[in-house]
This record gives sequence, C-alpha cells and structure tokens, in this order.
Amino acid sequence: MPKQLLQGNQAIAMAAEVAGVKFFAGYPITPASEIIHEMVNKRHIKVLQMEDEIASINAVIGASLAGLKAMTATSGPGFSLMQESIGLAHIMEVPLVIVNVQRVGPSTGMPTLPAQGDIIQCKHGSHGDYFPIVFYPNSVAELYKYTVMAFNAAEESLSPVILLSDGYISHLYETIVPHRDFEVVKRTRPPLGTGNRHFTGLSHENSVVKTADADNYRRLIASLQEKQQLTAQRYNYYEYCACTKETDTLLISFGALSRVAYYFRNDFALYRPIRMYPLVEEIKTIAARYKRILMMEMNTGQYVHEIESILRREIQFIPILGGCIDLGEIKREIARVG
Amino acid sequence: MSTVERRGSSLYVKSLRLYFMNTDINYKRYLKLDLLPTPWCPGCGNGIVLKAVCQAFDELNLPKEGTVIVSGIGCAGRSAGFFDLDSVHTAHGRAIPVAEGIKYANDALTVVVLSGDGDLLGIGGNHLLHAIRRNTNITVVCYANEIYGMTGGQVSPLTPHNAKTVTSPLGNADFPIDVQSYFKNRNSYFARTTAFHLNHLKKSIVEALKFKGFSFVEARTMCIVNYGRRVGYKNSHEMLMHYKEFYKVSDDTEELSQNEIGILRHTAGL
Repeated sequence: MPKQLLQGNQAIAMAAEVAGVKFFAGYPITPASEIIHEMVNKRHIKVLQMEDEIASINAVIGASLAGLKAMTATSGPGFSLMQESIGLAHIMEVPLVIVNVQRVGPSTGMPTLPAQGDIIQCKHGSHGDYFPIVFYPNSVAELYKYTVMAFNAAEESLSPVILLSDGYISHLYETIVPHRDFEVVKRTRPPLGTGNRHFTGLSHENSVVKTADADNYRRLIASLQEKQQLTAQRYNYYEYCACTKETDTLLISFGALSRVAYYFRNDFALYRPIRMYPLVEEIKTIAARYKRILMMEMNTGQYVHEIESILRREIQFIPILGGCIDLGEIKREIARVG
Repeated sequence: MSTVERRGSSLYVKSLRLYFMNTDINYKRYLKLDLLPTPWCPGCGNGIVLKAVCQAFDELNLPKEGTVIVSGIGCAGRSAGFFDLDSVHTAHGRAIPVAEGIKYANDALTVVVLSGDGDLLGIGGNHLLHAIRRNTNITVVCYANEIYGMTGGQVSPLTPHNAKTVTSPLGNADFPIDVQSYFKNRNSYFARTTAFHLNHLKKSIVEALKFKGFSFVEARTMCIVNYGRRVGYKNSHEMLMHYKEFYKVSDDTEELSQNEIGILRHTAGL
C-alpha cells in the first residue's frame, strides 16, 4: 500500500468508505466542510446537503434505519443543533457516526481555530440519560483508524458513536498508509420495510409504547447502559508513555494538545485517553503510580472533572484557550502550577 | 318501504355484507388492532384520517413490506405506532428529514409521513420547504386540526385569525399559513381536504401516493376538546357540519380559495 499525503478530514472520508458508509448527510461548516467535499466525489456514497444540521442528523437516522451505514460531520454549532436527535438515536438504537470537528466557542466563536469545548456536550448534550461512545484521535493516521473503529462500535452497540476531532488535526496534512485490511462489522438488523417494528423516542418495549411504566423505563435504560459498556470494553484505547526518567508527575492531555505534550516525554509520564467516553478504567491503575497529576485541555475544565471523579483526587489543571497552542506559554503554566 | 322491512330484506343484508367484505374489512390489515383504542379524545377527527390513510393503502393494495410510516410529535404523531408496518416516531418536527433519509437510502420503499400542522408547519416548517425544493418522492399527510392539541390548545400555524386559544385569549393576532403557496412553481402535489368529505379525503391520499414527487395532503380534522369548545362549537359533530357547509370541492384548479377543498398539481420544471 503506497503512502499518501492526506488532510485529516480527507482521511475521515477515506476511512468511512473503507468502513462501508453508504450515506452521508451534512451541512457546510468550518472546519468540517472538507468531509462533505470528499464524500460527494465517492462513487458509492449517497450524499445529501441538507438545510441544517438538525435535518442532517435526522436524514442520517432515517438512512441508517433503512439499512445503510450512515454518517454526518459538523462542528460545535451544528453539534449543538443535533443534540435532541442524538438522544432520539440512542433510545431508538440507531447505529450512525457523527464527526465533530471542534472549534472555539461558544456560539460562532473563532471558526477557524481549534478548541476542545464540546467534551461534556458529547456526554450530556441531549436531555435524559444516555451512554455514548466517543473517540478522540490526535493524528491523521489515527483519524483514519478510529473512523473505522467508530463505525464498528456503532454497529455493535446500535448507537450513535461520536468521533471528535478539532480544527487543528482535521486541517493537518500528514503522510499515512491508508490500508484497507480492517475488520468491518456488518449490519445485522433488517432494514425498514421488512417487518412491523415501531421505532419510537417514547419509552417502549418490543415496539409497544409505554409512557407511564416506570419499571419498563428502568429496564430500558439499564439495558442501554449495559450494552454500551459491553461494547466499549472492546475499544479500550488510550496511550500511556512512562517517562524515561524517574518522575512523580503524570501529564494528561488529548487531541491536538497531546501532540505538544510529547515534548515533555522526558520530564513527565504522559497519558492520553482516545476513547473519551465511557472513561477508560486503566487510568486508575496508571494514576496510582504518580503523586502529582497535571492536566491540560483547550477549555476551562471539562474532562478534568471526569478524571477527578473517577480518581477521586485533586488534579492540577492548565486551560489553553483561544485556539492558540504555544509551547512557551505551556512551559510557563506548568512551572506556575507546579 | 319502511326501515324495518328494508333491514329484513335479503338484498339489504347481502349488500351490507358485500360492503363490509370489500371495503370495510380489508383496510384493517394495515393496523395493529390489539393496540387500539388510540390515545385520542372522544370527538377527535384524527381517527377518520387514519382510517382514510389505511383505505387509500388498501385501494392501491400497497404491500405491507415496502411501506414505511414516519411521524413527528403530537396527537397525530401517535398514529405511526398503530400501523402493522415498520414505522418511525421521530423527534418533534423531524418527520420529513427522517422520511427523506429513508427514501434516499432505499428508493423502493413507499414512505408516508403522518403528522400535525404544528409539527410539519411550525417546528418542522423549514424541512417542509426544503423537501418541496428537493422534490423527494414521499407523501405527507398533515392532520390539520388548527391547534397544538396534545399540549393543551395553543396557537398553531393554521389557527385562524382572531380564534381564541389558551395562548391567544384575546384572539389570534396572526393569520394562518396558506400552505398551497409553498407549492407554486414547483413540480408538486398539494391537496386540501377535510374529515367530513370522506371520499375526497381518501381520493386525495390515493392520488398523493400515486404522484411521482413530493405530495402533501392537508386534511382538516376537528379537535373539540382543546380548540372547538373554546371557539364556540358545542360538539365535534358541529365542527364536522361546519366543514360540510363551509368547504366546496374544486379539483384541479390553479389556486384554492379559503373555502375550497381540492387537489392542485403543479408540474413546473418538467
């Protein structure tokens, strides 16, 4: 397989084709537009440019129920619009993939600059309880790999899987080997038009709506949670670099920022979650080896609370805001909190 | 001949039997009868439209496999669950994009959207405009009851001017949407009909299902509990009689005036 110079967004589109995607619906948005640009040029993929992101995610839900592997791609503002229907896809158990190329928010923010402000939104954006699987790679090669993984996880869990990226990684050009020998999970559920099932956002059991049955609702949510946990266990992805020297500090980061963290590999141990949700349990054993835990994110503190709650200990936090990643600034900040 | 004699005559019994065998029984195969009754109030017109949809399916003899019902949220949105077909009950206002996704994914399916005027014209209004623009080959049946019934009777996009509702206690200040205007200069099918004009209702849906392209049936149905009784109707029957007196059938014209029901076919761009 020859090497190819690919942009992050191009890699996502290529990998989606490998994973067997047959339907794409989207709405133009910086910095995710390149994905739909790539998609329209693929021969066996039906592409719809919808009137907004709400229509996009709903068309994807429809296409997925009708039997095609389907995806959409957006950035923060569009991801916010999609939230209600993400909840719908969870309770209707519709497999699909949503790519969220994060940019600086809130609102229109700084559209061309990267941020990591949608982490909590992935988990809690829609109302009610649901248990999404979320991946966040940090290179073009990883975007390629985890796009396929996201589709596999979606098919196995019958749920919408979120692939996070950011304006930096998605616009990054890197040389990768786009190999095609992935194990691709096939669709198991029969498509629409072959039975008498009722897919509904109401609390339900076996295609029958049950709007006032607490026991049924509890069973439904428990089964969804268990299913998501079981599937997630097969995608236990994280990166841990023990420091070459003796150190008592663990530096946690992810996405674009974790690329800068590699600079500190001789000073600190590094940990990078790739499966953001559900949290990777291994962080507990890894963190137990270190006295000090340092964490940086391109937001004012979102994932740090998740890590704090799973470890039940204090973490020193460094926010990197405004889409500007400056090594000098990070060094100064580390010195300041240390 | 008195009624008693007629009932006793074998011809009458025969014709009754024929009527039920040929028309009234077959449409039920599209429904999950064990789930009845519906959650709709006594006097509601939704059941009439639901039956008409089934009768239209029956008339075209649509196969159960290959037909998909999509609905939004609200009173009308609950229809989907009663069909003995694959059905999707989507989020509020999102029935049309889901139906489009299904249709573009598998063109062989017959996709029918059943939802209310609040859902299709209010929260989902943008999707309707763009489905007309894309001319997706789906059929939309709008239960136009002129009110948000399930939430207690608030102003909807089709509530008439000056009508009193819980959110317009002094009368609706705005004018309702003239839905047919969305369809001008488009290759499209639009029908307005009512729950009183049963044959016209069924015919409108049958023609809509036959139409190649986006088709929309605005079926006026009555909501007595959360609308009619607040605007001066004593009962549901009075509302039906209003439809009977107010609306005149006028098929295949260019434009329907306020008190006309009929079918409009535009073939612009073909």
